[in-house]
Formats: sequence, C-alpha cells, structure tokens
Amino acid sequence: MAKTILAVDDSSSLRQMVAFSLKAAGYDVVEAVDGQEGLDKAKQQNVDLVLSDQNMPRMDGLTLIKSLRALKGYEKVPILMLTTESSDEMKAKGRAAGASGWLVKPFDPQRLIEVVKKVIG
Amino acid sequence: MTRKRILGPHVKRLLSGVSTHGHRHLNEVETDLLQTKLLLEEAIDKLTSSFTAIHDTVSARQGAIDRLLAGAASDEDRAHLAGMADEIAAHVNKVITNMQFQDMTSQLIDRTLKRVNGLREFLGTMGEHGADILPDSGSEEIVERLGKVNVALATQSRELGNVLRKSVEQRHLESGDIELF
Repeated sequence: MAKTILAVDDSSSLRQMVAFSLKAAGYDVVEAVDGQEGLDKAKQQNVDLVLSDQNMPRMDGLTLIKSLRALKGYEKVPILMLTTESSDEMKAKGRAAGASGWLVKPFDPQRLIEVVKKVIG
Repeated sequence: MTRKRILGPHVKRLLSGVSTHGHRHLNEVETDLLQTKLLLEEAIDKLTSSFTAIHDTVSARQGAIDRLLAGAASDEDRAHLAGMADEIAAHVNKVITNMQFQDMTSQLIDRTLKRVNGLREFLGTMGEHGADILPDSGSEEIVERLGKVNVALATQSRELGNVLRKSVEQRHLESGDIELF
C-alpha cells in the first residue's frame, strides 16, 4: 500500500510540482493550501509524512509543526519543511518546533524523492 | 528670524527623517526588484533550454519510432527508445526546479508591494499633518506638529521594516540545501 504524504503550500504551482514528483515515485499525496487546512486534513486522515512550506496565510509552517506535534498520532510522524527560508535561525526554530528536516527551495525532484525514501521508505 | 531659528531644526529633522527612511525602503525595493529580475532571466533561459532539449530528444528518436512502427527497428533503436523516458524525465526534473521561480518571485513582488503601500501611507501621514498646519498657525503649534510627524514617520518606518523580514535570499535557481535533523 502506497504511503501518504501531506503537502502543504500556499502556492498552487508548488503543490502541483511536489504532487507530480511524489506521485511519480509511487506515493499518495494529499494537498493543503495553508497550515490550517494541513492541520484539518491531518486530523481527518493519518499521513506518513508532512511536507510543509513556512510562510503561508492563516497558519505558518512552524505553527503547523507545533500543532501537529501536540496532536495524538503525530508525535513521531516525520515533518519536513520545504521553504525558501534558508537562515540558520529559521532552521533552528524549525528543529526546536519538532521538524525532522529542512529543505530549501527550489527543490530538485530527484533529491526530494531520495530524502523522502530515506525518511519513510 | 526668531521663528526661522525655532522651526529650522525641526524642519531639518523632518526632512532628514523622510530622506533616510525613504531611501532605506526604496533601496530594499530596488534590491528585491533586481533579485526578481535575475531569477526571471535565469528561469526563462533554463526553461527555454529544457523545452528545447525535450523537443530535441523526441526529434532524435523519431527515426527509431518510425522504424519501430514499420517493424524494422534495430536493437540500437530499441535501446535508444528504452532510454528516452529517462532522458525526458531528467529534463522534466530540471523544468520542475526552474519553474519554482514563480514561488520565489511572487514572494519578492508581494514584499515590494507591501513596502510601496507602506511608503504611500508614510507620505499620507505627512500630508495629513501638513494639512493641519494653517497659514496663520503659530510657530509653537508648527513645532509641535512637526514633532508628531517625526514620531509617526519613525514608528511607521520601523513597523514596516519589522513586518517585511526577507524570506527569499536565493539569487539563482540551483536546488537548495537539504538538512535532516
């Protein structure tokens, strides 16, 4: 059974490209337009990995991580940030919030899939 | 003369503040626009190359496809056709990386728009306070008004700077760093 990845990004083109890349590698992808919708979808169905942007309306990525970590069943689900933010300060905040990794945009599909495989198989 | 001496430092401070804050914000606008221009130019160059490469890959295999359809394909033709999907996938991966210029430039343009709106409000504040200064206003009243304008402008400028933290530092479309914690 294919593993499910929740892709959260307010850019529709980015979501499309992430979904295209991951589906081509055999994963199921659930999309959300911001942190709030991501949290709602995570409550509706269990996912194996969350891939989230940082800067989004309504709820940003760091808040989403903290909310997910407080959610039963998501204490250890890998959460990767995929964002334009590249500062050490932001990475440290992500790590402290409970992120499992930090990927700086733009992403290369091949490298993204390698990382996802490494994290969830 | 006395009135000029009283007003002079306050007017100077106001003009200096407007100049400093205005320059700072316009410099940021200029930097963001230049960064946007760089990313757009690189994206268009790379996307053009990738689409041309995809076209060339398909065209180069057309002969083999024709021979395959005619039942006359050689082993070499079959090998080339088998590798075509991988070749195209590699080009598509590059397209996906370079298409992300839209996400980055969109953030830069949003930031520029917010800053331009902030500058408009900044100038609006000056206009509002200026309108309250009447031709027969006394120097004490004018000094008080100029002081309020200075404080308002400094506050607006600081607040604008605080909300516009730069989230896109990329100047090229190379794939970014990956760090697993």
